[in-house]
Amino acid sequence: MTAILSEMPGRDHILKRVDGRLKILLAAAILVLVVASKGFLLPLSLVTAMIIMCIYLRIPARTWSLRFSEPLALVLVLILIKLFFSGQEPLFYLSLGGMKITGYKDGLLDGLAMAARIGGALSVVSILSFTTPFTHIISALSWLKIPKGIIETLMFAYRYIFLLSDEAIVIYCAQKNRLGYSNLRRGLSSFGMLAGSLTLKALEHSQMTASAMTRRGYDGNLPMMRHRPFRAREVFGSALFLTAVVFLWAI
Amino acid sequence: MRKALLFVFGFYFLLVPDVHAMHVSEGILPWHWAIFWYALSAPFIALGLYKLKAAAGGDMAFKPLVGLVTALVFIISSMPVPVPVVGSTSHPCGTAMSAILLGPSISVIVAACALLIQALFLSHGGVSTLGANIFSMGVMGSFTGYLAFRLLRAARVNMVACAFAAGLCADWATYFTTSVELASGIRGDGPFLPLLLKIAAAFVPTQVPLGILEGAITAGMISLLLRRRPDLLVKMHILKQEEAAR
Repeated sequence: MTAILSEMPGRDHILKRVDGRLKILLAAAILVLVVASKGFLLPLSLVTAMIIMCIYLRIPARTWSLRFSEPLALVLVLILIKLFFSGQEPLFYLSLGGMKITGYKDGLLDGLAMAARIGGALSVVSILSFTTPFTHIISALSWLKIPKGIIETLMFAYRYIFLLSDEAIVIYCAQKNRLGYSNLRRGLSSFGMLAGSLTLKALEHSQMTASAMTRRGYDGNLPMMRHRPFRAREVFGSALFLTAVVFLWAI
Repeated sequence: MRKALLFVFGFYFLLVPDVHAMHVSEGILPWHWAIFWYALSAPFIALGLYKLKAAAGGDMAFKPLVGLVTALVFIISSMPVPVPVVGSTSHPCGTAMSAILLGPSISVIVAACALLIQALFLSHGGVSTLGANIFSMGVMGSFTGYLAFRLLRAARVNMVACAFAAGLCADWATYFTTSVELASGIRGDGPFLPLLLKIAAAFVPTQVPLGILEGAITAGMISLLLRRRPDLLVKMHILKQEEAAR
């Protein structure tokens, strides 16, 4: 999990250098269009763009297979649910263990449309996160006037996910070595102990962190990254791209 | 055809155990439902931010603490258990724990931040469905867990048992709400109630044991804090000074 978080976005490339605020605004606008879309053209174009992006950015196969395998599984099951449990116009009949099951054409089309929408929406968010470092996202969210409480919690949380994950792995391995998960009862007890130990660590770390930060001048406010002015080239490019997406949406 | 179906289901079962948690997935809700759940969560987020500001005003360590609990909720809610019929995976939520420690309103902020990081970087849940996920895991999970804990405490039930019940209730409330959100989002022109019952029933095989697991996690946490650091429980107004001295 932390490997996936830390691997993105790795190397330098042209999209990484584009202003984070523009990327977030553009992604939000496209996401709205995808969720409101009825057809297949826009979502499937975005899925194609995402695949090209993964190849261009040379994102390791393990990273994106981990990331997309679950939504892919969800898509498959949704199509099957829609195919067999909703619709009016029969497409085929199936006999399974004496039970007659009907597959519906309109159900299948509904399922495929939903699957395309999931794929398209997922592609938009994935491209954003593959091309934008977390600090840029936070800084852009701050510029977009997302409340300070949320921004600061996100910053602290992102920093401590890595720390607590490492500690969770150490405790888990120690428990396994002492046969902590050998049966259900011990497993539940061990898992509770693991969560409890992590909570204790979290509480203790928070005291230490606050004390260390106060010594370095923390007054309850975290400084944010400064933004450079928008570049005309980037704004124009984003507007052009959005126009193309609106065109695809309208078709 | 039977072979094809077996292949599809086989592929699914091979695939799912290797991945992480899923809330209501990106793009699954039509736009009007996505907006509805955002609107429903918004007042709870506003209340959480107000409480966070008030609490952080007097204690410099409070914001780092909320960040650490968010990281903890992120880790706990990324543990996967597949739910084949619904096409999703289930997971413990961790919101009962954050609600007991920080209060239910701030726990909504904790859940919102954990869910946003998951949506952006792990494709668990989504940005378009963030409102729905905040409502099910953050609002319903936190408030139900907290209420269960406080009601049982008021009835003088043992604190570890209270924590267990809080975890159990928070988990089940979260998944019932998720069923409502999924049923309303994917039903199309079909009837709501039968689909809701199907989805809720599909969650039962994983959510009954997961609720118990969530209860065990919460009880384990409280039990450890009671034994090792009762002073922290006193500081967080979970335990009274005289109870800690016993």
